[in-house]
Amino acid sequence: MSLTDLFRQLSLLIGAPAVFLAGAGAVLIVVPRDWRAVLFGYALVNVMLSLLLSQVIPTEWALQQAIAGGLVAVMLFLSARQLRNPAAPQAGAAWPRMASLSPFRLLAVGLAGVTYAVVRDSIAFSLISPLFLDAVLWLCLIAALGLALHEEPLHAGLSLLTFVGAVQLIVFSLFQERMLVGIFQGGQVLLGLAIAYLVVAHGLAGATDAGAGSEPAAFPAKGGRA
Amino acid sequence: MIAGPLLLLGLLLVGAVAVYALRRVESLAALIAAGLSALLAIALWKLPLDAPAILAGRPVDMGRAFVSGGASLQITAASQAVLVFLFAMASATFILAWKTFQGRTFYPFGLLLLALWSIVVVLQPLTLTPYAVVLASVLSVFVIQAGRPGDTQGAWRQLLFPTLAVPFFTIAVWYISQAALNPDDQMPLRTAAWLLIGGFVLLLQPAPLHVALPAVARQAPPVVAAFLWAGGQAVTLYLLQRFLVTYPWLSEVVDSARWLLWLGILTALVGGALTATQRRLGRLTGYAALYDYGILIVALGLRGTAGLPTAIWLLITRTISLMTMATGAAALRHYMASDSFDDLRGAASRLPGAAIALLAGGFGLAGLPLTPQLASRWALLQLVSENDARWAWLLIIGALGVVIGVVRAGQACLGELRFARVEREPVSLTAIALLLILAGIVLGLFPQLLTDPVASVILPLSVLEP
Repeated sequence: MSLTDLFRQLSLLIGAPAVFLAGAGAVLIVVPRDWRAVLFGYALVNVMLSLLLSQVIPTEWALQQAIAGGLVAVMLFLSARQLRNPAAPQAGAAWPRMASLSPFRLLAVGLAGVTYAVVRDSIAFSLISPLFLDAVLWLCLIAALGLALHEEPLHAGLSLLTFVGAVQLIVFSLFQERMLVGIFQGGQVLLGLAIAYLVVAHGLAGATDAGAGSEPAAFPAKGGRA
Repeated sequence: MIAGPLLLLGLLLVGAVAVYALRRVESLAALIAAGLSALLAIALWKLPLDAPAILAGRPVDMGRAFVSGGASLQITAASQAVLVFLFAMASATFILAWKTFQGRTFYPFGLLLLALWSIVVVLQPLTLTPYAVVLASVLSVFVIQAGRPGDTQGAWRQLLFPTLAVPFFTIAVWYISQAALNPDDQMPLRTAAWLLIGGFVLLLQPAPLHVALPAVARQAPPVVAAFLWAGGQAVTLYLLQRFLVTYPWLSEVVDSARWLLWLGILTALVGGALTATQRRLGRLTGYAALYDYGILIVALGLRGTAGLPTAIWLLITRTISLMTMATGAAALRHYMASDSFDDLRGAASRLPGAAIALLAGGFGLAGLPLTPQLASRWALLQLVSENDARWAWLLIIGALGVVIGVVRAGQACLGELRFARVEREPVSLTAIALLLILAGIVLGLFPQLLTDPVASVILPLSVLEP
């Protein structure tokens, strides 16, 4: 089966379902604390973005988005495994340390959803299709929320990568240039490498100032940053 | 015939690999990195751009373009000046980093950063250059974190804003291409101009987007932070100048000069005010550098016949002040229990060179007499006063904040040692600190020493080729 055939088989998804799934994936990046759910969300966003991009650029180029996203996911998976390894007890169960509680983040996403519903019709951006506009709006909104809510590099980094992914829907609607595709995908992999490095550096900081419970560092220890 | 940019980038990449392999022998790695940077600075300074030269028996054409896939790298008269500045600054920084224990991974990554900054400076078309800026910010994550577990805020913030700037530039390019199709319609150019301004605000990170600067100052080794500021900010401002000269409508559609002036003054004011209130050396250095950065943005905002030379002048003198202050802060941070003012008591008795360097560098950033920045600051204040005297007073208030902060840091270093086991600073460190201070005093007393170097780059910078 050729690549084009594969995408043809998946054509049912290309369109509104892909946007819904990408949006749900973005929510998974921001809300759960569990790193596996977060990585799953990121993978979902990337596959859906790849399907959406195949509408505006050649399929082979669009597939690179999934490959780049996959490479980033593998790097982050390896970083996470390193931190969850019993041989790295300083990270232990405290990782990832969050600055907020899951219900709060869920509430924030709910409010973002209300904002999205209110502003959606008043935003006109004729450069891209309405479907892409919906996807870009929601992904950028959730990415901005992720960047605002998270200080921890795994969640914040993936929020930034989600933003870059959403931007690609605009950029590749305007330019169908091979060099630009290469720059964006290569850039995402390098960005992923830097984020994976920061994830390890942050995770190895130790769990000594973490509290008990499912959200160990929701509140700073004495002398810690709020 | 070897093209100049290819030689430059090839040597930097080979040097980075070699230095990475030798990183455990720090003195050797530092000397190689410094030697290579100095060699490249001298080669760029001495070799002509308009005629081939023989280098190690091979013909080299420094001015020849290297073209690949729609993009080209070419050293012009303007970029030559910026590259000489970058390599000379890097050469001095590698030596300082070696003597102030800044981490051994800095040398290879420093060379790679130089390679990326060089690409930003010589890359055509201009619209691709922001991507190289983002790559440089990604790479700088590794030198800021320097292998230490813990706080990642500085490295993260260094990465964040340039990445957010990318879509602004990319979409602006599309509008610019649309404007060419219908020259009568001003809307595409107006939109492109606002997008470019937005992108540059994210790249320049003036106040209130300055959050990366103090975070990097707190987290990164001080000399490494000074290297990132001196090099990165110079490259970004050069990029802005390239855009302003290449797209003259950018100044016509949006009053970019006024925007830069306001942002610069706000940055200087915020930097000065926050310097006065700090209680840690890292953040003190960061906010003092922020004040100085605001001054540089103001100088670029003035533009015109006098603004540009002042900006170049400030760029050179601020680097000396930044490096002097960073050397002092790095030594104090290394030998004392922490860089908190409470833990610095008595530092002046054991680390006199470092303490004096901190004060001299800090006063230099404030633009006090007997420092390299006095003459350039005075020139800038006169230029600003011609526009509006109140702006000059705001800049002076900012300088007062820096002076207060630095005096408080100096006071913290006095008194009796809190911890008995503090080593004395090595003679080599004292010598380097005194050398920097002396260089600053000489430039403060004889600012005309910089007249020729500044004059030689004014014309190329004001008529940059697209």
